[in-house]
Amino acid sequence: MHCVIGGAYAGKRDAVRARYDALAWHSAYAGAELEDWKKRALPGTTLVLEGWEQWLATALADNGDDDRLRQRFTETLDALISAERERDLRVVLILLEMGRGIVPIAAIDRRLRDLAGWLAQDASERAEWVSYVWHGLVKDLR
Amino acid sequence: MIAFVSGGARSGKSRHAEALARSWQAERGGGLYYLATARAPSMTADAEMTRRIARHRRERGDDWMTLEEPVAIDTALAQVADRGTVLLDCLTLWASQVLYASPLDEGAAVAMLRHVMHEARARQLRLVVVSNDVNEGLPNHDAEVQRYVAFLQRLHRLVVTEAELVVQVIAGVPVYWKGERPCTP
Repeated sequence: MHCVIGGAYAGKRDAVRARYDALAWHSAYAGAELEDWKKRALPGTTLVLEGWEQWLATALADNGDDDRLRQRFTETLDALISAERERDLRVVLILLEMGRGIVPIAAIDRRLRDLAGWLAQDASERAEWVSYVWHGLVKDLR
Repeated sequence: MIAFVSGGARSGKSRHAEALARSWQAERGGGLYYLATARAPSMTADAEMTRRIARHRRERGDDWMTLEEPVAIDTALAQVADRGTVLLDCLTLWASQVLYASPLDEGAAVAMLRHVMHEARARQLRLVVVSNDVNEGLPNHDAEVQRYVAFLQRLHRLVVTEAELVVQVIAGVPVYWKGERPCTP
């Protein structure tokens, strides 16, 4: 698994396109539900999951328990890692850095920011490669 | 030679960019220019902005020739003598003035910035561009703010592609993304 993290419009997608081919995009921005990733996880492809902050926002709107939510997303990460091993698949996660602004006023925004930060930590912990994208440049952190 | 220096608010990016411009100027002579995209204190009614500009001036010292230009940075660059070193501070403000206080559209602004970098190279000037990282906080729901962030990122990626030296300043510490750390600073 490879985590590609960076701010908005930093060039994360271009960084992924430059490094991998046979890309299968599973994107919240295109309306995909997170749970449906298995349908797109075809052998020989690089499965790219993007829009995690949208999946998190949807999940936190119906669930008040952040620890449980974090746990649920961690289970998805573990399932992705297993799928990588079981099928001939590579998984790339595009993660939006959103923790560097001021503390949001609305509680729901603070929760989203927290969950996005935890997800990035949980994903990076499991990933073989971690890259940070800054204004179109890529630094491999691991 | 073009450098790009960015980072968060009060990360020390201006101080680092100034030191870099000074070391370039010391290396090859020529004038030292400060191309300010912020308007002069007399032209701004914002007391906080006035103090901010005064603080930057004080910290910079007075051996700089100051050019003030909120939008037409190409015209301002034309006033720089050969062999000059120019510190353009900052792209963030320029981007907002282009979008909200000028008739330029995004494409024309990108072309102007491209032209400025091309001219700097053609005339063998040294150009240090300072900007601000504003894209790593919680995404703003406002469409206009999103447009601004997208536009600024387009500018950042353009300058980063062109620049030989790219520096991210974190808590006063420069991280070199492109190019080598100069002997000074």
